[in-house]
Amino acid sequence: MGKLYKYRWQFLMIAPAIILLFMFSYIPMAGIMIAFRDFRIGSSIWSSPWIGFDNFEFLFEPQFWVVVTNTLYISVLKFIFGFPAPIVLALMINEVAHAGFKRFVQSVSYLPHFFSWIVVAYILQSFLTLDGGFVNDLISKAGGEPIFFLGSTEWFRPMIISSGLWKEIGWNSILYLAAITAIDPQLYEAAKVEGAGRWAQIRYITFPGILPTVSIVLILSIPSLITVGMDQIYPMMNSANMEVADVLDTYVLRSGLQQGYFGMATAVGLLSSIIALLLVLSTNQLSRKINGEGLW
Amino acid sequence: MKTSIQEKLGQVIIIGLLALLCLSVLYPFLYMLAISLNEGSDAAKGGIYIWPRAFTLLNYEIVLGNEVIRHAYLITIARTVIGTVTGLLVTLIAAYGLSYRLLPLRKVFLGYILITMLFNGGLVPFYIQLYNVGLVNTFWVYIIPGMFSAWNMFVMLKFIQGIPDALIESAELDGASPVRILFQIIVPLSKPMLAALGLFTAVGHWNDWFAGAFFVSSQSLIPVQTFLQQLLSASDLSAVLGSNTNQEALARGSQMQNITLMSIKMAVVMVSAIPILCVYPFLQKYFVKGVLIGSVKG
Repeated sequence: MGKLYKYRWQFLMIAPAIILLFMFSYIPMAGIMIAFRDFRIGSSIWSSPWIGFDNFEFLFEPQFWVVVTNTLYISVLKFIFGFPAPIVLALMINEVAHAGFKRFVQSVSYLPHFFSWIVVAYILQSFLTLDGGFVNDLISKAGGEPIFFLGSTEWFRPMIISSGLWKEIGWNSILYLAAITAIDPQLYEAAKVEGAGRWAQIRYITFPGILPTVSIVLILSIPSLITVGMDQIYPMMNSANMEVADVLDTYVLRSGLQQGYFGMATAVGLLSSIIALLLVLSTNQLSRKINGEGLW
Repeated sequence: MKTSIQEKLGQVIIIGLLALLCLSVLYPFLYMLAISLNEGSDAAKGGIYIWPRAFTLLNYEIVLGNEVIRHAYLITIARTVIGTVTGLLVTLIAAYGLSYRLLPLRKVFLGYILITMLFNGGLVPFYIQLYNVGLVNTFWVYIIPGMFSAWNMFVMLKFIQGIPDALIESAELDGASPVRILFQIIVPLSKPMLAALGLFTAVGHWNDWFAGAFFVSSQSLIPVQTFLQQLLSASDLSAVLGSNTNQEALARGSQMQNITLMSIKMAVVMVSAIPILCVYPFLQKYFVKGVLIGSVKG
C-alpha cells in the first residue's frame, strides 16, 4: 500500500491515458461482438440477439472479392513504386554538390506532406478537368482527344499511385538522408585514394551504409500492405470509377456508417484487423531474426 | 582530383531531375492561384498556365464572404489549438509517469497501451461508442478521442528516459514533487521533442476531414477540410453562394455570369493552403528533428 501511495502522482498522471484508451480503444474492441449479433443503432451492443456467422455472408458475394482485389492491387503497386523512390531521391540529393540547392530541394520535396489528401484531390481536379484543365488543354493543343481522367477506370490507379508518390517521396527520404550523413567520411576519402569514382562510391559505400535503414523501413511497411489509406482514396472515388476504386476501408465506411449494416461492416473490419495483426506479429518475428531484436 | 565528363553529365542529370521534382511540387500552387484569380468562364476555355488572363478578385470576395467557410475556419483553428495543447499534455504526463522504472504495474500499463497500437475494433464499433457517450455531433469529438496518442507516448517515454537520472534525483532530494520535476526539469529539456510532436499533432488536426464528414452532421461544426471535401464533389455552387454575406459580390457574380464552380473551388483551396505555405519555412527546423526522434526505436 505504501508503495502505491508513494507513486500516487504518477498514477494520477497515467490515469487519463488509461481511461481514454479504455473508452475509445477497449470498448470498441468489445464492440466487435456486434459482428456476431443483430445490432441496430439505438439498441445496446450487449443485448442484441446473437446470430452466429450471419453477418459474414459477404464472404460469398463477388463484390467483396472485387474490393479485396482492388485493395491488394493498389497497396502492392504503391509499395513497388513508393518503397524504392525515396531511397533513389536520397541518393540523388546526396550527390548534389551545391549546398544551397540541396537544402532547397529538401525543403520543397517535404512540402506536400503537410497538405491533406483533399488538397491533393483538388490539384488533380484542377489539372485534369475537361473544362480548361492543364493536361487536357495540352492534349487538345497537340491535336488529341481530351480524356476524362477523373471518371475513368484505367486512369484511377495511376492517379492514386503518382499522387501518393508526389506527396510522400520527399518526406520518406528524410530517414535515408539522415542515415547517409551518419556514414564515416573517411570511407569516402579512402575510396577516392583508391581511385573510386562517384558511382563506385555510391555502390560500395553509401548504399551499404543505408542498408540497415532500408531493411527497417521495409519491415515496418509490411503491415500496411492490406490497408490502403481511405484518406487518399475516398476524395478521388466517384460512381464512374467505383469498380476499381472501392477498397476495404471505403467498403466498411459505406456499408457501415452510410447504409447502416453495422454487423456486416464490423465483420469486414474484424477480418482486416486480424490480418493486419498477423502481419505485424510475423513482421516482428522476422525483425527478431534479421536485426536480432523485435519492433517492441 | 579529376572529374570525368561522365560524372559531370551525371551531376547535370541529377540536378535536372531534382529541379523537375521541385517544379512538380511548386507549380500546382502557382497554377491554382492563377485560376483562382481569373474570371471563371474565361479560365474554362483553357490556356492559363502562370498568369491570370482576365484578372479578378471576385472569386475570393465570394469565398471570404461565405458564413460557412468563415465559421469552418474558426472550427479548424479552435480544434488545432485545443487539440494540440491537450493532446501533448495528456500524452506527456502519461509518458512521464511511466518513465519511473520502479512504478508498480508499469509493465502492465505499457502492455495495455501497446495492445491498442496493434489491434483496434474498427470504424463501426468506434462510431457506436462515440454515439453512446454523446460525442457525435459535438465539437469535442475532434478533441477527446485523440487526446492520448500511444505512438507519441512511446516517443516521449524514450526521450524522457534519455534524460540523466541524476538531474531528477537531485531535484527529488530537494523535495520537489513529481509535478514540479515535470514542469521545471523535464519540459524545458524536452522542448525540441515537444515542438516536433506538437507540430505533427497540429498538422494532423488542421488536415483532418474525416471526423467532420462522418462524426458530425451539423454544418456549423465542420472544419475547413470537411468543407473542402463536400465542395470537391459538389455539382453546383449552392454550397458557396448560399449563406453568403457578401451580397454585393454576389450580385456582381450572378450579373456577370462568369464565376464557375472550378474558379470558386480554386479560391477555396488556396485560402486553405496559403496559411500552410506561409508558416512552412519557419517550421522546417523542427520537423526534420522530429522525424529523427520518432524513428528512434521506442
